[in-house]
Amino acid sequence: MAWGGMIAWYLFLAGISAGAYVTAYWVSKKFPTADTIRRTGFFLSPVLLAIGLLLLVFDAEAGIQHPLRFIYLLSNVVGSMMTDGTYIISLFFVIGAYQALMVYKGKKVASWIEKLGVIFAFGTAAYTGLLIGVVKAVPLWNSSILPVLFTVSAGSTGIAITVLIATLWNRNACQNMISLKKLHFSLMVLETILIFIMFYITSAANEVAYQSIKGLLTGEWSLLFWIGLLGIGLVIPMLIEGIEINHSYSMYKPVNLEVSATTVLSKPNIFPLLVTESAVLIGGFILRYLILVAALPTNLF
Amino acid sequence: MARYGMLIDTTKCVACFGCRVACQMQNGLPPEEAFIHIYELEKGTYPNVNLQIVPVQCQHCDNAPCEKNCPTGATYTTKDGIVLVDENKCIGCKYCVVSCPYQARVVSHETGVVEKCRFCVEEVAQGKQPICVATCVGGARLFGDLDDPNSEISKAIVTKKAVPLRSDLGTRSKIFYVR
Repeated sequence: MAWGGMIAWYLFLAGISAGAYVTAYWVSKKFPTADTIRRTGFFLSPVLLAIGLLLLVFDAEAGIQHPLRFIYLLSNVVGSMMTDGTYIISLFFVIGAYQALMVYKGKKVASWIEKLGVIFAFGTAAYTGLLIGVVKAVPLWNSSILPVLFTVSAGSTGIAITVLIATLWNRNACQNMISLKKLHFSLMVLETILIFIMFYITSAANEVAYQSIKGLLTGEWSLLFWIGLLGIGLVIPMLIEGIEINHSYSMYKPVNLEVSATTVLSKPNIFPLLVTESAVLIGGFILRYLILVAALPTNLF
Repeated sequence: MARYGMLIDTTKCVACFGCRVACQMQNGLPPEEAFIHIYELEKGTYPNVNLQIVPVQCQHCDNAPCEKNCPTGATYTTKDGIVLVDENKCIGCKYCVVSCPYQARVVSHETGVVEKCRFCVEEVAQGKQPICVATCVGGARLFGDLDDPNSEISKAIVTKKAVPLRSDLGTRSKIFYVR
């Protein structure tokens, strides 16, 4: 395939950028006092997206040699999926950057802008799947479940990067956020289910799609799929978070009250959290990478 | 206005690679870049076997997925039905490379622009044949106007029962194969 590692990084970064924005928004509504995680999410979102876009620009070699040509990306309206995506991502980046600036200055952002940001975050996450989903010449990609899968994974990896960085910044930032853990856990369960739904349906589509899936399950990419994506990216984090969620039920808790970030024990053990979130991020990248590299082009004859 | 197309009679092709080399010369391509790829398909089981040689290049689809997906509008179709790349608009994103079911597009290592068979548009404008057609030793290739029912190619497509590659993809490609 003409698209490899660089594009996988871009799809991954655009996804976690969108996820980080939504995570920050969600946390700010659910836990108004959890400032670290909110700030982390809003700061990370435009930065990660900018890195992703830079990679994309560097992958487009002719554009690097003649940067003015990138203007054509905007002038060819309602032409290509990539043109539509350029608009979605550009607007999301502008909103994200504005939001980050306001958070940095400590000012409030109008609620409608935040909500618009959430819509464009979903747009960005879905677009990474739509971009390759519309390519009919590649049967593995050409399915409507891909944008859904990438959106769910963007949510899960977005939570992971935000929680990871926020915790490294302030180890108390994400303690006892059981509802965030539950959301994260549900997204991972959903992602696992979606992957297998995609495999079942897509492998039935045609012979090339079947061969691509076979390459993932038992062929060239099977080690990366089973150990990397499924083992490290999904099973390990689901187990750790599952245990933590289960453990939280057995703890004494005042009814209808979740202890928020700022009011917890002095030195919590953050090791399980670091492992979980890093594993989710590794899995999120492997998912995009595998979908790109395992894809076989359609038969010519 | 014409609607140019090509017929490739694979039963006449001897796999001399003459078209590919002529095309590389015509377009100034380095040895590792080519617009024509030659596939050899083995059919049957020994002793009843058959080797089919199928040269594949840009199929100049009427409904071209590369053109539809090109984000900058660099890929376009001329009024004569020839699909071209405006190299001053191409950013080299390679969306067309993954979109082309015929894998006909190549990235130029020199400029980063994506290139492909151009049906030798300058030659054709002068009333000449594309170089792959002109150079073919076996006369396996035929070029002409598909919209003209009396053109040599239109007649040959009917008499030889030539069909496009993967017509099920809905690309309405304009290179017809006798196989």
